[in-house]
Amino acid sequence: MSTPPSSTRRSTVQALAAGAAGLAVPSLARSQSAPVRVGYAIARTGPWAGGAQVSQEPNFLMWAEQQNAAGGLDVKGTRRRIELVSFDDRSEIETCIRSYEKLMGSDKVDLILPPWGSNANFALAPLANRFGYPMLAPTALSRKLIDMHLPYFFSLLQQPDRMMGALVDMLVANGVKTIAILYMDDLFGLENFAALNAALKKTDIRVVERKGYPLGVKDLAPVLRTIKDQNPDAFIGITYPPDTILASKQSKEIGFNPKLFYASVGTAFQLYRNVLGAGAEGVSGMGSWNAATSPGAKAYFQAHTAKFGGKEPDRWASGHCWAGLEILTQAVAKVGLDRKAIRDYVAKNEHKTIIGPVRFEGSENVATPGSVGQWQNGEFEVVWPRSIATAQLVMPKPAWK
Amino acid sequence: MSFGAWLELIASGLITGGVYALVALGLNLQYGLMRILNIAHGEFLMLGAFAAWLAYTYLGVSPLLTAPIVFVLMVVLGLLIHRLAFRRLAATSPDLDVFEARGLMVAFGLMFLVQNFASLVWGGELRGYDYLTDPVSVGGAQFAANKLLLAAVALAVSVALIVVLRRSLLGKGVRALMQSPVGAQLVGIDTARLHPLMFGIGLGLSGLAGSLLSMTYAISPAIGEPYTVTALIVITLGGFGSMTGSLVAALALGVIEALGTHFGSPSLKPLLSYGLFIAVLLWKPNGLFKR
Amino acid sequence: MSGRRILGRDLSVLAVLAVIALALPAWVNEFGVSMALTCLMYVALSSSWSLFCGATRYLSLATSAFFGIGAYAGALTLGELPWLAAIALGAGAAAALAVVMGSAVLHLRGTYFAVLTFGMTELIRHAVTFAEKQIAGTVGRVLVFVPEPGTVYLTVLALAVLAVVTSIAVRRSRLGLALAGIGGDELRAQTLGVDTRRAKVIGFAISAAFAGAVGAAMSVRWTYIDPATVFNPFIGFQTVLIALIGGAATLWGPLVAAIVFSVLAEALRLQLPQLYMMALGLLLILSVLYLPGGLASLRPGILIGWRDALLARRPARRAGAGKVRDA
Repeated sequence: MSTPPSSTRRSTVQALAAGAAGLAVPSLARSQSAPVRVGYAIARTGPWAGGAQVSQEPNFLMWAEQQNAAGGLDVKGTRRRIELVSFDDRSEIETCIRSYEKLMGSDKVDLILPPWGSNANFALAPLANRFGYPMLAPTALSRKLIDMHLPYFFSLLQQPDRMMGALVDMLVANGVKTIAILYMDDLFGLENFAALNAALKKTDIRVVERKGYPLGVKDLAPVLRTIKDQNPDAFIGITYPPDTILASKQSKEIGFNPKLFYASVGTAFQLYRNVLGAGAEGVSGMGSWNAATSPGAKAYFQAHTAKFGGKEPDRWASGHCWAGLEILTQAVAKVGLDRKAIRDYVAKNEHKTIIGPVRFEGSENVATPGSVGQWQNGEFEVVWPRSIATAQLVMPKPAWK
Repeated sequence: MSFGAWLELIASGLITGGVYALVALGLNLQYGLMRILNIAHGEFLMLGAFAAWLAYTYLGVSPLLTAPIVFVLMVVLGLLIHRLAFRRLAATSPDLDVFEARGLMVAFGLMFLVQNFASLVWGGELRGYDYLTDPVSVGGAQFAANKLLLAAVALAVSVALIVVLRRSLLGKGVRALMQSPVGAQLVGIDTARLHPLMFGIGLGLSGLAGSLLSMTYAISPAIGEPYTVTALIVITLGGFGSMTGSLVAALALGVIEALGTHFGSPSLKPLLSYGLFIAVLLWKPNGLFKR
Repeated sequence: MSGRRILGRDLSVLAVLAVIALALPAWVNEFGVSMALTCLMYVALSSSWSLFCGATRYLSLATSAFFGIGAYAGALTLGELPWLAAIALGAGAAAALAVVMGSAVLHLRGTYFAVLTFGMTELIRHAVTFAEKQIAGTVGRVLVFVPEPGTVYLTVLALAVLAVVTSIAVRRSRLGLALAGIGGDELRAQTLGVDTRRAKVIGFAISAAFAGAVGAAMSVRWTYIDPATVFNPFIGFQTVLIALIGGAATLWGPLVAAIVFSVLAEALRLQLPQLYMMALGLLLILSVLYLPGGLASLRPGILIGWRDALLARRPARRAGAGKVRDA
C-alpha cells in the first residue's frame, strides 16, 4: 500500500516544521510533563454499547486513572501523564473509522486503544496497520482477522477452535452423549459452529439438533421446545447477550432442563446474574478468569467494582482487555513510545498478565487456553481446563429457579 | 415428535399469534380508519414498555396496573399529536393519496424523534424484569403465565373492539367513516371528533401492548421497529381496517412461524414472514380475508 | 430564464462544486476528507433517489437493497476485476434488481409501494444471509483488496457529479417529462399515450444503479461487510429524509440538504448523536407540514406567507370570539 505523493510531501513539511519548532523552543518540545496522548473511539450509544461499556471502556478509564495516580505512564523511566482522547462511535463503522483517521492522521496521538467488536476491528485493523499503530484488541474474534496477517494487529481473545475445543474436551470428560446446538447467524456464530462441528468429529457425541437463528430474534421458545422434545444431555448455545438471556428465560418457561446448559456470550456478564437471579446457577458459557485466578486479577476486580460503584467486569473479555493494557504498559516502560518498537516488543515476548501468560504468533494469542465458565453460588467460576480452573464443573445443572 | 409435543408447538404458535394480534390492534385502527400509516407505532409500544418497567422497578407497581394508566396517557398523547400534526395534514392535502404519503412521512419523523428521545434518556442497554414468569402447566405442556396472560388480553381486547365496532353507535360511526369519509359526514357523524379519538385510541392500544409485553421481553429503545414490522405484516394479511381479519391473521402467522421454525430453523422465520407479506401485497392487496 | 441558460447555470454551479470537492484533499486532513466522502455519498444517493421518486412521487425505501447488492458485487469481484469494472458491476446488479422489483411492484401506489419496497429490502437482506450461510458457510465477506487511498474519494465524487448530471439530463428528456407526468396524474399520463410502465422501470433502474455503484465503492472502506451492515435500512431512511427535507422534486434540494446534514451530523454526531437524529425527525415533520416542497422551495414568498399567517391568527382569534356563529 503506497502513500500518494501529496501526503508524503505534507508529512515532510510537517516534520520539517515540527523540527524547526522543536529547535526554536527546545524546552517545550522536550518537556517531560508533555502528556502521553492515547486515543480511541468506542460505542457509547447504539447496539454495541452494551458490550463496549461492560468489557472495554471502563477498563480504559480505570487504566488511565491508575497510571496517572502513580505519577503517569512509565515511558522508559520517565513518568508522563496519560491524556485520553476519545469519541463515541455510535456503533457505526463509518463513524469509527473516521474518528481513528482523525486520531492517527491529524491528531497524531501517541497510542490508540481498540474499538469494540469484530466488525469495527475489521474496519480499523488495516487502517491502523497502515498508520503503524499497534492494536491489542480484546473483543475481536474471527479467524479471518488473524488470516489477514497484519503485523500491527493483535487479538487477545481465544479463537473459536480453542474455545470450542475446550468445550468439547469438557463434554467428553463428563460423559455427555447427546447435544443440541443453537447458533447465531453471523460471523461469530458461524465460525464457532464450524469449530464446534470440527471438534465433535473426533468424538462419539451425537448431535440431535442443529438450528440457526437470525439476528434480532424475538422468540426462541418453538425451537427450544423442539430441542426439549429430543432430550439431549447438553444444550450448546452460540448466542449473544440478548439471545443468551432470551434462551435462558424461555428454557425456564417451557421447562427445558438439560444436564448442561451452555450459552456462549453474555453468561460471563454481571447482567446475566442480575436478570436471571437464582436461575443463573449452574449455567455455563465462555469465561476465562475471575478474582480467584491470580492476585493481580483479584486486585483488578476489586479496583473495578470500587471505581464503578459495584459494577463488575465481565469474566471473559474484560480480563483480556485489562491484560492488553498491562502488555501495553510493560511495552511502553521497556521501549518508550516508538510504535514500531512497541509492536516488536508485543510480538516477540511472552507477557505476564492477570489472565496468565500471553504470547502471540502473528495476530493470535496462543498462550491462553480455551476455557469454560459456570455460575456457582453467585460467581462465574472457570471450570475447564483443569490447569486454570477455579472450581469443578457441577453437572447436572439444577432446575431453573 | 410426540403428539403432546405437537400440541405444545401449535399452542405456543397460537400464543405468539395472540401477542402479534395485540401489537397490531393499534396500527390497524390508525391505518384502517384514517389511512395514517403510523410507522412510529412500535416506538410508542416501546414507550409503554419503558413506563411499565420504570413503574415496576422504582415504584413496585405491577404492570397489570400500569398498563391501563399507560393506555389513558397514550390516548391523550395521541390526541395531542393528531392536533399538532395530522389535523393540518388533513386540511392541506389535496387528495387522499397525498395525505397518506405525507402522513407516512410525518410518522417517519416521529419514529426518529421518539426512538432517539428514549435512547437519550435511557441509553442503549437492555433492561428487563420478571413478572409472572412461573410456568403454568396446561395439559402436560408448559407455558409462562405472563405469555398466557398476554394472549388472553389480546383476545379479550380484540373481541371487545370487534363487538364495539359491530354493535355500538360509535362503532357504526367508525365503520361508516372507514367506508366513506364524505358520506359519513353527510349523515352527521362528527368526523372532527372521531378522527383524533381513534388515533388516540390506536396509540393507547400500542402503549398498552408495550406495557404488557415488558413482562416477558427485554426492552431497549431499539425494540420498536420489529414490532412495527410485525404489526404491518399482520394488518396486511388480515386486510387493513378489519379487526377480525387481523386477529385471524395474527394467530395464523404465529402458527405458521412455529411450524416453520420447527421444520426448518429460526433462520427461516424472517424469510417466511416477509415472503408472505410481499406475496399478499402483490396478489391480494386487500388482505387474505376480504371478500 | 430560458432553458439553455438554466442548463448553463446548473452546469456551471455543478462544475464549481466539483472542483471544490476535487481540491479538498489538498487542504484538509484525512478526517475532513472522510467527512466530505460521506457527504458526497449522500449527495449521490439522494440526488439519484429524487431523480425517480421526486418526479413520480413514488416513495421508495429500497435504497438499502441496491446499496447492499452493489456492496456485495464489489466484495465478490474486487480481487478479480479492475476497480472501475467492479463499480460498474455493482451498478449493473442493482439496476437488474430494480428491473425485477419494479416490474413486480410498480403498479402499486403510495403507501403500498413504500411498504413493499421496505419489505423487499428486508427480504433480500435475510435471503442473502441465508444463502451465504448455506452456500458459503459464512455470513460476511472480507475485502482483501485495498485500492489507492484517493480512489474511493474520487470515485464517489465522480458518482455524485454523475448523479446530478444525469438528473439534469433526465429532466430535459422525454423520460423526465414522462416521470413528471406520472407524478402529476398517472392516469392522465397513460391516456395521453405515455408508456408509464416502461418509464417507471427505467427511472427506477437508473436511480438504483447509482445506489449500487456507491455501495460497491464504499464497501472497501469497511474491509468486512455482512448483510446487517450493507443492507442496513438506515442508509435508505437517511437518503429519503435528506431528499424530502431538501425538496425531492427539485434538482438542488437534495444536494443542499446532503451538505447541510453532513455538516450538522459532524457537529452534533460525535457529541450529541441522539439530538442530531431527533432534530432530523422533527425537521422532517415540520417540513412535511409547513414546507411540503422541501428546503429548495423556500422562497421569500413563503416566508412572507408564514409571517402573515402568524400575524393573522392573533387578531382573528380576538375577532372570532366576538363573531356570531351563523354556520
